[in-house]
Amino acid sequence: MSTYVYGIARAGSTHLPDGLTGIGDPPRPVRVVSRAGLAAVVSDCPEQLRPKRRDLLAHQQVLAAAGRRAPVLPMRFGSVSDSDENVAEVLSEHCGRYEEQLDRLAGRVEYNVKVLHREDAALHLVLSEDAGLRALAEANRTAGGGSYEQRLRFGEKVANSMREREAQDAALVRDALAPLAEDHRDGPQSAGWFLNLSLLVEESASRRPLEEAGRLGERHPQLDIKVNGPLPPYSFAT
Amino acid sequence: MSVVPAQPGTGSAGGTSGLYDVIELVLDRGLVIDAFVRVSLVGIEILKIDVRVVVASVDTYLRFAEACNRLDLESGPHKSAGLPELVGEVTESGAHGKTKGALSGAAQTVSDAIHQVRDRGEEPSRSRRSTSRKKEDTE
Repeated sequence: MSTYVYGIARAGSTHLPDGLTGIGDPPRPVRVVSRAGLAAVVSDCPEQLRPKRRDLLAHQQVLAAAGRRAPVLPMRFGSVSDSDENVAEVLSEHCGRYEEQLDRLAGRVEYNVKVLHREDAALHLVLSEDAGLRALAEANRTAGGGSYEQRLRFGEKVANSMREREAQDAALVRDALAPLAEDHRDGPQSAGWFLNLSLLVEESASRRPLEEAGRLGERHPQLDIKVNGPLPPYSFAT
Repeated sequence: MSVVPAQPGTGSAGGTSGLYDVIELVLDRGLVIDAFVRVSLVGIEILKIDVRVVVASVDTYLRFAEACNRLDLESGPHKSAGLPELVGEVTESGAHGKTKGALSGAAQTVSDAIHQVRDRGEEPSRSRRSTSRKKEDTE
């Protein structure tokens, strides 16, 4: 039976809620494997583990429960060991490194910030700042929308300006928020947003970046800013 | 701005609804220990496919041209302070659709993703299954 690992904490610090379950169907009971002053939060691993929504959520929830009272180094989803004994050996072999990270991340949480454009507001801004584009838009409009060619050429110019605006706004948000965090890291590139930024903040100091994100959204109506958190410090455990 | 509480228990449905917004962190960040195997997560690679290339498509150009035609250029960007709220609602629901689309749409590009994974030789995986099985994975 292989062992699924959720995260690593200090021994005796995790206080898992009774009956906490994790991945699998039926969900496997969560337990702790301790060695060398450290505790790995684990469960049995189902035969066929795949990245299903239910399991991703379970991984996240176990970490949230374990990290409520004490720092936990979150593992990436899908970390599996042959046995509990193997997990214990890893703990004892690298205990110095994990302890150093637990110290560094104690009392810290991650907030993930994603920014996209509210399209109409961003288009408005892009056109208002470019007389050439405005003239083209006006010409197309008086020509009843313009020919297919004209619309295509105009649309391409607009798309380019929108991309420039994205880069500009990404820098704007990053420059405003990063200094308010203890550490920051870019999230993985993916669909739907032009900035994906993770902030490491002290739990007690998380109000400032949240308020600043709110202010940015008010001051720049083209920005749709989504903040997720507090999260286990996924982006800062290495 | 919307803050999504991510801890189950502290926010109502935050755990589930928020997951889609941070799924890439659970899959792509966090501690990796060499002595542990990472199971076969072809789905992970799928999520990384950059759907944003769509921005450079003919459809987008035409859509932008359309949208600009409808815009009221006479009102300045700051004059429309009341507008964003309304726009916000629309984009918000639009963005949710997009997120889901990125996940379910991913199933169609599974084979591409597998090629990419193989080409790069990333992430040794214990069990790679057939493409049809992977489609279930992204449910």
